[in-house]
Amino acid sequence: MRSRKTLSTVAIGASLTLAVSGCAIQENASSDAEGVTTLDFWSYYQGGQAEWLAEEVKSFEAANPDIKINVIKTVGDQQDQKLLASVATGTTPDLFINNIVVDFPTLAAGGVFADLTPYWDDLDDESQFPTAAVWKDGDAVYNLLPFTNLVGMYYNLDILSEYGITEAPTTLDELQADMATVTADGKYKGLALSGAPDVEGAWLFAPQLLGEGINYCNFEGPKVDEAFERLDAWADADYIPKAAATWDQNASWQQFMTGGYAFAFNGNWQLGNVKDADFAYGTALYPAPEGGTSQVYPGGEGFGIGSKSEHPELAWKFIEHILTPEAGEAIFESAGSIPVRADAAESPAIQSDEFVAPFVIAASDPGTWPNNENTAKMQTALGVEVSAVISGQRSGAEGAANAIKNVADAMAEGGGGC
Amino acid sequence: MTQVTTARPAERVRAPRPAGRRSFTKLPLVYIVPTLVILLAFAAYPMFVLVRMSLSDVGPSNIIGEWPFVGLQNFVDVVSGSEVWASTLRTAFVAAFLLCSNLIIGFLAASVLSVKGRLTTIVLGIMVFVWALPPLVSGSLWKFLLDDSGAVNAVLGVFGLPSVSWLSEPDLALWSVAAVIAWASLPFSILIIRGGLLAISPDVLEAAALDGAGYWRTRFQVVLPLLRPTLWILGILTVLYAFKSFDFFYVLTRGGPGTVTTTLPVQSYNEAFSNFAMSTGATIAVISMLFVILIAVPYVRSIRMETTE
Repeated sequence: MRSRKTLSTVAIGASLTLAVSGCAIQENASSDAEGVTTLDFWSYYQGGQAEWLAEEVKSFEAANPDIKINVIKTVGDQQDQKLLASVATGTTPDLFINNIVVDFPTLAAGGVFADLTPYWDDLDDESQFPTAAVWKDGDAVYNLLPFTNLVGMYYNLDILSEYGITEAPTTLDELQADMATVTADGKYKGLALSGAPDVEGAWLFAPQLLGEGINYCNFEGPKVDEAFERLDAWADADYIPKAAATWDQNASWQQFMTGGYAFAFNGNWQLGNVKDADFAYGTALYPAPEGGTSQVYPGGEGFGIGSKSEHPELAWKFIEHILTPEAGEAIFESAGSIPVRADAAESPAIQSDEFVAPFVIAASDPGTWPNNENTAKMQTALGVEVSAVISGQRSGAEGAANAIKNVADAMAEGGGGC
Repeated sequence: MTQVTTARPAERVRAPRPAGRRSFTKLPLVYIVPTLVILLAFAAYPMFVLVRMSLSDVGPSNIIGEWPFVGLQNFVDVVSGSEVWASTLRTAFVAAFLLCSNLIIGFLAASVLSVKGRLTTIVLGIMVFVWALPPLVSGSLWKFLLDDSGAVNAVLGVFGLPSVSWLSEPDLALWSVAAVIAWASLPFSILIIRGGLLAISPDVLEAAALDGAGYWRTRFQVVLPLLRPTLWILGILTVLYAFKSFDFFYVLTRGGPGTVTTTLPVQSYNEAFSNFAMSTGATIAVISMLFVILIAVPYVRSIRMETTE
């Protein structure tokens, strides 16, 4: 009897001790006995971008021995969900990256970001950054975009040469003609692109309309029908494989790198990876629709500080480090991303690179994202229809009609603003 | 000494009993309370939050604030749309596919594997390995195998057959994903059915043999009826599995191409975590849960009947 009581008391005591000490350990987790503060950084970077971040962390820690950056690898398409959940539990990371294309309105509404306004106002190099680099909600600065990523066109020079094509297509009609040429004998495929039924499918397709002045805020009319009809025709002619209907951007890139595709729509973040290609390659602007211009949406990762961070000043020191021209040039070297600060973008290394030139041009006049809480839903609505048309689930006309309706519905649900 | 021991046995035996009984009656509480706390914290409370969310207007802007109560409006919105019914049909298709594969193939395979031998041991070992594989791992493997230029199409090519878009052909994608899920769930079914087969008395089988029944006749006319309770429970578990299956869809198709593989769990996930329409996602999850409850009731009843028997 006594031994049972003793056992129970010990068990309960041990549980309480564990619980209390667990809390205590967690309380002190960010600073060790030597006064080194550890900042958690949630990052979903991969490949060249991850290598760049690791180098920046290394150089930052060398310059700031009292701060350690703990880079925690996350999954890209789960980042926003985890961040929203972390606000509810009071455990936001000190630092994080986020996909501005999709996440910013949602994360700002969810209270994930710390207010960076005072830090930003005190920054000496503020004038080096364009307005598009500073993401605000109201007057408050929440998110900073040190470099941008945009989509463009990659082409396999070996395949084009084999069929006597000497210049990269500049319009969608030229692209269609070239795809017809290179796929005629069945040896090669036409275009590798992501047609996933989500934001990625929308991101790759939207420029076909953007160049004609159609964006998410005025998404309707015959031009939308024409774009979907063209996509349908490309899928029917097998210029785009059906499998593209489920490919994300990484999957479509792997396909292009096999050497079996003449063209690929993908982003400048692949400039670092394309060097591994076993074939000669080139880059070009996203082909313009007939009578329109080549225009794409700006993308990239915003850097933010978690609203529950206990060390926002130290976290800002790291963001300052990321905003330097050296860090901007390094991300270009490492992953092909284009720094947005003027002095870094004008560096000889970037200006003289023929492969990055189309992306630099595209970055000078990008499209404008809608300012609506349902931005993600609007893109998903488009992506689902793109995927459906590529796979043959729907005709071009059906896809266009659905996309117009669903984008409008999503915009209305998000408050109607744009 | 002898007198003492013989004079007091009744007292000595009687005295500790009440105390012992008390401690015995208290003992279950020590086990029940932690279980109850864990159940409330990790099952009942999240379910309560889910239902509350489905009855409220929740989005990213107020997920950590007040949730305005909207009654059944979310349910009206969801069931008045066509997509949720299409998702329900797709989920039902997956359930039907799994029922066929788990019960029919499962029974045939278990019959073969109920014969003891080294080969059986090896096959059972492989099946346990397949069963234990995380769906994200086996799903990625199948995505690679079923790709247009994957191993499956390469094999077809050897026989001069054309390549098939297993995961992106609208008429085929749901079949392909259902087949992968069936592949992953089959080992569990085989192990369960095999357990039931081995529990059947050899005397019954011997009697059937003496009456002149062959192997397969014995299987279908003697063994199968005896397995009915096991197959009934397995069938219900299979349907429940279909209604909660999400991982393979996420890895293989993400609900696409278009929406052809969007089942109830996928639609719920997309609404809640891609579109951030938390209430809509929760409402679809609750609808899915209602289906599961409808199926779970006979399951619980059959378990009770089994226990009573």
